[in-house]
Amino acid sequence: MPARTDVRRRLTLTLTGFGALTVIVMLLAPLVGSTSISLSRVFDRSIPFSDNVDAQVFFVARLPRVIAAALVGAGFALSGVVFQGLLRNPLASPDTLGVAAGATLGAMLALTAHADFTIFGIGVVPLTSFAGTIGALAIVMAIAFARRRGTSSTVLLLAGIAIGALLAAAGRFIQYFADVTDTFKTVQWLMGSLDVGSYAPIVASLVPFGIACAGFVTLPRVLDLISLGDAAAEARGVDVVRMERIALVSASLSTGAAVSLGGPVYFVGIIVPHIVRLIVGADHRLVLPASALFGASFLIVCDLIARTIVAPVEMPVGIITAIIGGPFFLWLLFRGR
Amino acid sequence: MLEARNVAFGYTRGSRILDDVSVSIAPGSVVGLIGPNGSGKTTLLRLLNGTLTPLAGRVSLDGAALSTMRRLEVAKRIAVVPQETQVTFDFTVLEIVLMGRYAHLGAFAIEGPDDVAIARKAMASTGTAPLESRQFATLSGGEKQRVVIASAIAQSSGILLLDEPTTALDIGYQFEIASLLSSLNRERKTTMVVSTHDLNLAAMLCSELVLLKAGRVLAVGPTKDVLTTGNIRRLYDVDADVVFHPRAGHLTVVPVARAD
Amino acid sequence: MAAVSRQIGLRAKGLGLILGLALSLQPSALFAQARRIISIIPSTTEMLFAMGAGDRVIAIGTYDKYPPEAQKLPRVGALVDPNVEQILQMRPDLVVVYGTQTELKRRLERANIPYYSYSHQGLPDIFSTMRSLGMRVGMAAQGEALAARLERQLAAIRAKVANRPRPKTLLVMGREPGALRNIYASGGVGFLHDMLEAAGGTDALADIQRQSVDVSNEMVLARAPDVIIELRYTDEAINRADLDVWNRVSAVPAVKNHRVIVLTGDQFVVPGPRVADAVAKMAAAIHPEVGW
Repeated sequence: MPARTDVRRRLTLTLTGFGALTVIVMLLAPLVGSTSISLSRVFDRSIPFSDNVDAQVFFVARLPRVIAAALVGAGFALSGVVFQGLLRNPLASPDTLGVAAGATLGAMLALTAHADFTIFGIGVVPLTSFAGTIGALAIVMAIAFARRRGTSSTVLLLAGIAIGALLAAAGRFIQYFADVTDTFKTVQWLMGSLDVGSYAPIVASLVPFGIACAGFVTLPRVLDLISLGDAAAEARGVDVVRMERIALVSASLSTGAAVSLGGPVYFVGIIVPHIVRLIVGADHRLVLPASALFGASFLIVCDLIARTIVAPVEMPVGIITAIIGGPFFLWLLFRGR
Repeated sequence: MLEARNVAFGYTRGSRILDDVSVSIAPGSVVGLIGPNGSGKTTLLRLLNGTLTPLAGRVSLDGAALSTMRRLEVAKRIAVVPQETQVTFDFTVLEIVLMGRYAHLGAFAIEGPDDVAIARKAMASTGTAPLESRQFATLSGGEKQRVVIASAIAQSSGILLLDEPTTALDIGYQFEIASLLSSLNRERKTTMVVSTHDLNLAAMLCSELVLLKAGRVLAVGPTKDVLTTGNIRRLYDVDADVVFHPRAGHLTVVPVARAD
Repeated sequence: MAAVSRQIGLRAKGLGLILGLALSLQPSALFAQARRIISIIPSTTEMLFAMGAGDRVIAIGTYDKYPPEAQKLPRVGALVDPNVEQILQMRPDLVVVYGTQTELKRRLERANIPYYSYSHQGLPDIFSTMRSLGMRVGMAAQGEALAARLERQLAAIRAKVANRPRPKTLLVMGREPGALRNIYASGGVGFLHDMLEAAGGTDALADIQRQSVDVSNEMVLARAPDVIIELRYTDEAINRADLDVWNRVSAVPAVKNHRVIVLTGDQFVVPGPRVADAVAKMAAAIHPEVGW
């Protein structure tokens, strides 16, 4: 590896490179699909939209899907990076801390109760799964930060695992009362789906994503310092308690929004940060934005493959992320170092 | 002048780790903190850099109470070298050293050429300049500690607090670090507070010693006055000979028997 | 004759028909009448009651919701969680089990309790099961009568829609409520597909040849079904706002022509005596122009 001295230069390079990748992928993805459509028909204003099949395929089926994939991929990648830094564990994923178990529980509750309302065009399941995330986060924070001195990553991890286990048990308890159809729907939800079919849930998710990003921008350098130990970070001038809270809330909001939008596709949150680190190094000022961009591109591409490779049917996107991500990661690991 | 006046600290009500402790660290001095496990050495160091707030008494830096100073301000003046540094991610040596500049830059700023120059000078002082592009995790124990010391110097050239800096190292590296600290103090006039188990290291490095037992100061003063057979017996229940070693140039402590 | 205490698992198709035919002449030859029947499968429970064996059923399964007379009976579990202890305690002389419940079958064999092994694929299996089950409980004639009557009803429905054009129909078995997500629909094989065909529709996903297909928005637009049937299995009220989500794909003929129909009731998931009723409802939805 060449001497890495100029962070500014490397940051520009990284953002340009990954940014260009993301833009290209986002522009091309809606053009590809299992159905052939003609772009001239898509943008033909003379055909009323309600009759224009090609336009509906582009604007209702594909474009929201690509945007959702970008947001979900970025959201999970970002929360993955932050959880890994917060817990000082490169194997941490968005669902390590139990906030994701809250999302699953919320979705299960909606499906088992046969709730079918929508609010402002957002379905009940995304709403309840997001509520579940927030609920779980509140519990984890209450436990982990009950100590006046703040938290060590061990306490946080234990609280998160305990809450995750409890919520998962609650989920199984609910399954007991579910009939076969509800169980089937839950299993489907667990496989993830980016086929949102409308813009309302995307717009709604921008609120928690926006708040999360406001938190994320304060974190890059801090994550570097915290990764050497809480005491060491304090000694360097980091307000560790405050920053860990910001990190936890931001990563949880990002996870919750992503799960609501696309289901529990957590693998993205483990693998993208690692791949990005192998390319740009460990400095979180590079890793954080690069992971967001690469996560977006990665999930868009995975979803594109999922919806075209076995046409006319589709595969669950979670399978593709694992099939692609795993070997890609191994290849990067063995070629360098 | 870094000073702790009658400080007390405990995590739970009723049990005190430190009680009525007073130390004065004169600029340019090397002060040793000696004491058995659990005597409160690490806690005292954390009080001295403001990470912990005392229950009673006050810690002040040049007259101003640490509790009134902003965290970043304190970090610019006081840096810490922990016993061991575990890295989770693959940082290079230069990246680790540059982390010391955080207090001077804040959360959003990126290091400029000045910061890099300071980091490189710090690495030169600790003999780690050739290691700049190496992965920190691949270094030997001694090299790691030297890099961490460089990081601390990059953070603050004023005061260094070192928590058992040689405990995890073998005798070769121990000597290396001890010599390094000695020369840093000589050349840069860096003030140091070193907590250690190694009485010989303390004798070599420190002009002044603070003996802690069960959270209280047993004795404080110049090394030659404080490092006595009697004090060692009181601290460690060990009968030891304290002898000036002509070739080493400082006092040495040789334990002889258990004192019952 | 003493009840034959041999355990026989029967393959529903073929063998059941042949045996049923052969033995309908001697109702008491191979199987004496079963008097204490436990059925943990909704369709066989309904079949038993429909063929007049209801007074011999002593316990039913968790999900057996029909007929009303059966609801007061004790429930002993279902596919995933059969309450083996309770079943053994009740000392049945026949237990109707799923073909895949190997553990339960083993326990019954050890306790010397006969069982009838039920497996099911398509529409024709319903009738062969009725016949073989009727024979198995010693009511072969009643089983035959039930099957024949339903076959006639189905034939009548088929005749009514025979000369009508068959619209491309998307048969949605379920989806995420309040959204067009996680839609799963019939894909050309299976019991629901057979019903759709009998009702005079063509499966929009017939070429895929899977019982259940994950359908995306793009697929719905590409397949352009003329009719969309959504199945709901409980009697809960339909939320209009929930159905309005289909308007997002307004270019689909079924949506444009207001031919999105919801059919409710669990007869769509119970392949039993109410199948003719289910097919009739489907046919009425697909071919409203024919008088029903």
